[in-house]
Amino acid sequence: MSTAPLSQPYPLALLRPAAPLLPLLPALVLLPVLALLPGLVHGGGWDLIGRFALAALTPSLDPVVIQAALAGLAITLGMALLGWIASLALGVVLGLASSRVVWQVCGGCRWPAGMIRRLLALPRSIHELLWGLLLLQLVGLQPVVAVLAIAIPYGALVARVLADLLDGLDSRRLEALRSAGAPAPAALLTALGPPLLPGLLSYGGYRLECALRSATLLGVFGLGGLGTDLKLTLQSLEFRELWTGLWLLLAVMLTLETLLGWLRRRWLMPRRLDLRRGGVGGRGREMLLLLLALPPLALLVGRALGVDPQALLHGQPLPGLDSADWAGVWALPWLQLVAGTLLLTLLAAALAVGLAPLQLLLAGPGRWGQGVLRFSWALGRLWPPPLTALLLLFLLQPGVITAALALGFHNLGILGRLLLESSEDVGPAVEEALSCAGSGPRLALLYGRLSPMARPYLAYGAYRADVMLRETVVVGLVGAAGLGSQLLESLSAFAWDQVLALVAVYALLTLAGEELSDRLRRSLLAGH
Amino acid sequence: MPPLLDLQHIHVAGRDQPRLHDVTLGITAGERVALLGPSGAGKSTLLAVANGLLTPEAGTVLWSGEPPARSPRLRRRQRARIGTLWQDLRLIEELTVQQNLNAARLARWGWPRALLNLLLPLESEANAAALEQVGLGAELLACSVAALSGGQRQRVAIARLLRQEPQLLLADEPLASLDPRLATELLELLLRQAEAPRALLLSLHRPDLLRGFDRVVGLRRGRLLFDRPMAFLATSELEALLAELYRGEAVGLMP
Repeated sequence: MSTAPLSQPYPLALLRPAAPLLPLLPALVLLPVLALLPGLVHGGGWDLIGRFALAALTPSLDPVVIQAALAGLAITLGMALLGWIASLALGVVLGLASSRVVWQVCGGCRWPAGMIRRLLALPRSIHELLWGLLLLQLVGLQPVVAVLAIAIPYGALVARVLADLLDGLDSRRLEALRSAGAPAPAALLTALGPPLLPGLLSYGGYRLECALRSATLLGVFGLGGLGTDLKLTLQSLEFRELWTGLWLLLAVMLTLETLLGWLRRRWLMPRRLDLRRGGVGGRGREMLLLLLALPPLALLVGRALGVDPQALLHGQPLPGLDSADWAGVWALPWLQLVAGTLLLTLLAAALAVGLAPLQLLLAGPGRWGQGVLRFSWALGRLWPPPLTALLLLFLLQPGVITAALALGFHNLGILGRLLLESSEDVGPAVEEALSCAGSGPRLALLYGRLSPMARPYLAYGAYRADVMLRETVVVGLVGAAGLGSQLLESLSAFAWDQVLALVAVYALLTLAGEELSDRLRRSLLAGH
Repeated sequence: MPPLLDLQHIHVAGRDQPRLHDVTLGITAGERVALLGPSGAGKSTLLAVANGLLTPEAGTVLWSGEPPARSPRLRRRQRARIGTLWQDLRLIEELTVQQNLNAARLARWGWPRALLNLLLPLESEANAAALEQVGLGAELLACSVAALSGGQRQRVAIARLLRQEPQLLLADEPLASLDPRLATELLELLLRQAEAPRALLLSLHRPDLLRGFDRVVGLRRGRLLFDRPMAFLATSELEALLAELYRGEAVGLMP
């Protein structure tokens, strides 16, 4: 390994692992986690985990149980659908309002766009669970609570994506139309509508998948639907009934994902990694018809669920804020809480981002390995993290690592699916060439498939880490896991002053995290 | 000694007509064989069968007298002896030239070296020698492939082939879309590499580059039209064969 005449550029190479290694590096976090894990095991619980695993094969087939699960599933699905439709409507309106191009064309100035965009960061930075719990307190247990809890943060997210897409489009066609004397709204619709629709619908489709997960999660925290049943059956150790619900949910989730994937392919829509790629998808008429079908669908589902928007008008203010104990709020161990949250986020993100390619590599390109992976990742997406956390508590002591495992497992499922999806985009040519030259299937995968995917995948991972920061609240019930645990504690103590302060800190932290992950993403994508 | 490549009665089904029909072709060490034919004749399919990417529906494939090995380990060793120069090169854009050249060694390396190659410069001397053979300087080793010019890429792909040290070299239209001077240069380079104990099978659709080959094989609509040694082929006879091969195709004949 003599490098004498060539050594000049190489000392740097040591510090810069090549592309295929990059997505695997976060998995190094496994080493300290595995080293600490034995100390966290409290001894009991193995029989429970065994019973839980065994019950997967023998779910309860009692018609009463199945009927109850189906009813719960219908409510969850309805909440997801309604929240999603509302978020799309909200997102389109707010997205237009926060687009610089729109303001430029309609109002002649750009600054209101930036201001609205900044304001929208607040609803976006608060997790739907927090919205749900706050609204629950304000208006009581109503179906509308879950719907709104999904619609508010999702709407703000859709608005951001839409505004980014709008402002990123080529505006020359728009200028041409304007200078030809077309009125502003007509010019906007003609010039930006067609190229925008596929990207927006593709993103919207992914949001529907997310909405289903969120609705399940909200159920776990008592907002109704299948999630509530799942949590109750888990807590009463009725594992066979639990699995009845889980299998049904899995079937619905996979059907939804397959359906959306099929639509995406049919309409030639761009993938999640790059919404801007790809022009006007085909079959614009079908897309418009689908969009037009949404409002009546929303009305139908809303009536079936008994959603009553008027309930929002009869709210009650948060109790006890007039006698707030701000000194007590100040005395909370803030530094510890924030540090715990950040540690939890980093651990979970590293686990999820690093494990997905590592598992892909270990499973290899064979059909069996991939099948097992797909299935385990689907289970991860399906499982609401708080339920994983409860399950882990059978074995492990509460704490940051336990919470990180629960959060990481869920996001591993999401990242893994994305990894497989984008590896389909990469195409088999290079991997094939390596195999033909005699390298083993796993090495060919490492060199040929992970190389082109590395940077876009990590860029998505950076975005996902930001999402995980927001999500830390949902594993708060593990205890001793940062702001989320404190928040749930304060909520159950009805200490509204503390809750408000914690939500504010959460929002600040998420905004900072968003900024950071944005920068990381840009530098990853630019670093070719 | 058995031929390096021995294809017997190969049949590959296609949508309307077979992509290959009853093709028999043997190549022994030291032979340089040009595979001619209009586009769509089945040249790429034949090469895919020859390097084991495609398993034919019928017929026998033997490499040095052995059928495709069952055990993955033996199969890998078998494949390592066949080097392919792909039409689209199939270099790994995100890696350096050095790492790409070393990727040809993956068949012989275990995991530790394969991983180390992604961290450290390995076997720089052998790689520099391979680059020199294709007329490139060692200073390119540390470059990312994405930063290379088209001609440099072609050469790096050939250098990677050399690093694999295969016995049988297969090349799928390596000269298409190259300017004439570069095409002649690269062809000479490939022909030089293919001396015994090696052999070369190269597909072309430009019949003006046949000088230097030992044999010429014509493929049309999946069937072998002719297979003749160049040494005993008069120019007029070759022209007649080519006229038959390209009948009804818009391709220029001999210059």
